[in-house]
Amino acid sequence: MSSNGNSRLDPHLIAELRAALGDDAVVARAAELKVYECDGWTIEKAAPEILLRPRTAAEVSAVLKILHREGVAFVPRGAGTGLSGGCLPIGAPVMICTSRMNRILAVDYASRRVEVESGVVNLHVSNAVAARGFFYAPDPSSQAACTIGGNIAENSGGPHTLKYGVTTNHVLGLEIVLPDGKIAELGSAAEERCGYDLVGAVVGAEGTAGIVTRATLKLTREPEARRTMLAVFSDVDDATRAVSAIIAAGIIPCAIELMDQLIIRAVEAAFHAGLPTDAGAVLIIELDGAIAGLDDHAQRVGELVRGAGAREVRLAHDDAERAILWKARKRAFGAVGRLAPNYATQDGVVPRTRLPDILRAIGAIALRHNLRIGNVFHAGDGNIHPIVLYDERDADQTRRAVAAGREILQACVAMGGSLTGEHGIGAEKIAEMPLIFSPEDLTVMSELRRVFDPDGRANPNKVIPTPGSCVEVSTPRRQVPI
Amino acid sequence: MNDHDAPQLVRTFAALIGESRIRAPQGRETRAASIIAEPHDAREVAEIIRKCEADAITLAPIGAGRTLAAMRPAPVAVGVSLAHMAAIIAYEPDDMTVIAEPGLTLAALNRQTAQHGQHLPADPPHPELATLGALVGAAHAGPMRHAEGTVRDLLIGVRFAGHGGRLVHGGGRVVKNVAGYDLMKVMTGSFGTLGVITETTFKVRPMAEQYAIAFAAYGDVASASAAAAQLHHAAALAHLEVASPAASHALGLRGGFTVIAGLAGSAAEVAELSARTRAMLAAGAEIMTGAEAIAARERLRDCDFADAAIVALIAVPPAELARCLEPAEVEFVAHAGCGVARISLSSGANPAEACAALARIRMAVHAAGGNLRVLHAASEMRPGLEFFDQPPRAAFALMQTLKRTFDPHGVFNPRCFVGGL
Repeated sequence: MSSNGNSRLDPHLIAELRAALGDDAVVARAAELKVYECDGWTIEKAAPEILLRPRTAAEVSAVLKILHREGVAFVPRGAGTGLSGGCLPIGAPVMICTSRMNRILAVDYASRRVEVESGVVNLHVSNAVAARGFFYAPDPSSQAACTIGGNIAENSGGPHTLKYGVTTNHVLGLEIVLPDGKIAELGSAAEERCGYDLVGAVVGAEGTAGIVTRATLKLTREPEARRTMLAVFSDVDDATRAVSAIIAAGIIPCAIELMDQLIIRAVEAAFHAGLPTDAGAVLIIELDGAIAGLDDHAQRVGELVRGAGAREVRLAHDDAERAILWKARKRAFGAVGRLAPNYATQDGVVPRTRLPDILRAIGAIALRHNLRIGNVFHAGDGNIHPIVLYDERDADQTRRAVAAGREILQACVAMGGSLTGEHGIGAEKIAEMPLIFSPEDLTVMSELRRVFDPDGRANPNKVIPTPGSCVEVSTPRRQVPI
Repeated sequence: MNDHDAPQLVRTFAALIGESRIRAPQGRETRAASIIAEPHDAREVAEIIRKCEADAITLAPIGAGRTLAAMRPAPVAVGVSLAHMAAIIAYEPDDMTVIAEPGLTLAALNRQTAQHGQHLPADPPHPELATLGALVGAAHAGPMRHAEGTVRDLLIGVRFAGHGGRLVHGGGRVVKNVAGYDLMKVMTGSFGTLGVITETTFKVRPMAEQYAIAFAAYGDVASASAAAAQLHHAAALAHLEVASPAASHALGLRGGFTVIAGLAGSAAEVAELSARTRAMLAAGAEIMTGAEAIAARERLRDCDFADAAIVALIAVPPAELARCLEPAEVEFVAHAGCGVARISLSSGANPAEACAALARIRMAVHAAGGNLRVLHAASEMRPGLEFFDQPPRAAFALMQTLKRTFDPHGVFNPRCFVGGL
């Protein structure tokens, strides 16, 4: 579909934007804009009419003032690794990319704070402070590419959020350029807030509050040690019960990841990581903390998973063995690509104790639609990522894959869960919002959004369903790694 | 209607939700509200709100009345007590989540969760008085913020009655959830100015198997703070405080500037932490264990300087905290790793001196990039005293819009939050 309705941007406006930023900050040729036609959600594509790459908050402000005067909508973009079409331009002809605002401005080790521009890549923050024994805790799988600004928009998580929390738990202060071009300082480097928690409102607002240009983040101390183990189960049901057993025992690992048989076999076929291909499921469990007591916890976890039916528990003996386990987990999606021409990943959440139920439900949905569905996900958080395999050349199979995805989300909601644990609503799940929120809830959320963006020009047609914003999904959801 | 015409207010609200639901304020409540309404469910809260908006009557949620009595220059007309909305709706120990009504006290909640070895790790002073509504509304916190964060990190779902009596919910009951706007953050620390919270959902955490607490005295703020910083760097602690001499004395300690460290975990962890802490702290460091340690932690938690002329909460980047605590007239319990301190100023001979001292500290805190909030002020200190800092201009403009949007009739705890919101 065309992203921008019928109207093309006024050439005078484009000239003014060029004058404000310089030619090198403006991309307007259709061939070059094609790169920006989607993020990690590839179902829908729409290139912006113009892409702007400002270098400073002042430039962002200048641009937004011009767009405000002209009543033109815009969409912010970081690295474009989002998974819900959050930076897809729908009714927003101007895309503003933060990638050139990529400086780490200040590190204060004594206060455990780092101040960064929003285009800084997530992993670069941790890399910059690693030598002093610190890291930035939120670690989405795309962390080598995704930006802090994008993480703030999506309130990103990652495998280690089970213990360390998600983006919102680590952001203290923001500089944001509001849709009218005004620059606002929200929060500070201090833990307490002065007035309403506007930082908390902006984190996870999916770019609908304006363009974040700078952030003050908390740094976390590297743990003294880690213990990473692989628990092998004959039956996936036992694996999910083991997750509950660990949590119920009062042990909070920093990660518990589950891979089922379909995924294990795909990973083995592709990478020979040494996973047992006859297993029904494996858990990768990682504990971290002070050295004292860590082995006790690891032993206790070993006992718990064996008690839940694990037939084997392997402990990684060194960093190399640990790296192999994580590589297997992180490459799972690439491996799945070998199993079918197409695959579609869902993101849903259930209360942890409902994991056995949701996996059984997914199994039943797969059977009913005659599809193969694999599971690799953040089990400790109850955050599932079923992967539906299909062939898009087969229209009926494609239709069934779409239906299966929606039924899985409905099952999550029926079990007291949510539509998305970490990928966001974006354009992708906007039609599903009424499954968990009442019209009144959505009205209040719209009102909150208008506090920042009264004209609805910041990333329009996202998060909250409005007439015309709902995309009729006719092909399944994305097929990119999470 | 005149906000203070109590008999008329009683008649109005008795007609609305029944006579038995309306009572006169008692004790400190008298400074918070003219009458107290005690709705039994969210629907009744909504009815009260609709009536207040229709007749321009002010209202505010009230728990034990501590926060509201302290911050209100004059009482609101209707204090909405949630004492009858104090049930645990759902507690799932294996999911480590709990849904509870806002009138429940933190202590009552934690008595239930303790049966499963879990707790809501928020520890403001006197949890037997702190309702969950107040915990969220006033964003109260205590020593455990060091390791567990604050209520903002623990609240995963919220329901509230907003303007027009709308019943609204945000979040859910799963620990990881990014669907929709984060209404939990908007309500946390909003001091009843945006609506009345009717239900809260929290993550709970496992309680540590063992707990010990270490104390070591130092001669001045700077050396105590340096020792605390060193310890913070060397060990994952449950909490970390520096207490001023009078605060130390109130805690039953010898005096001096005391570093207080909470050591929690398995037996092996606590043993190792104790050894490490003892090696790092000043000679004469003392470590308590068992029931004695827990009692000490509770004294630390409850040290709220209730009799002081002015009590305030300051927050700065942690490395800046010691400098802000240097003025001799300040007594404090500082959460050193968080850069947050509860400070008190005694009036001494002259209230004006205490106010002047507060102004100096406020300036120092602002210069350090932080903020200050007055928690309590004796009545002679009140005139002209700003409880909240003024936010930066653009941020404040957003807050004004937020307030107007959520409270178009201006009835929710008006004119006493930041900038007179």
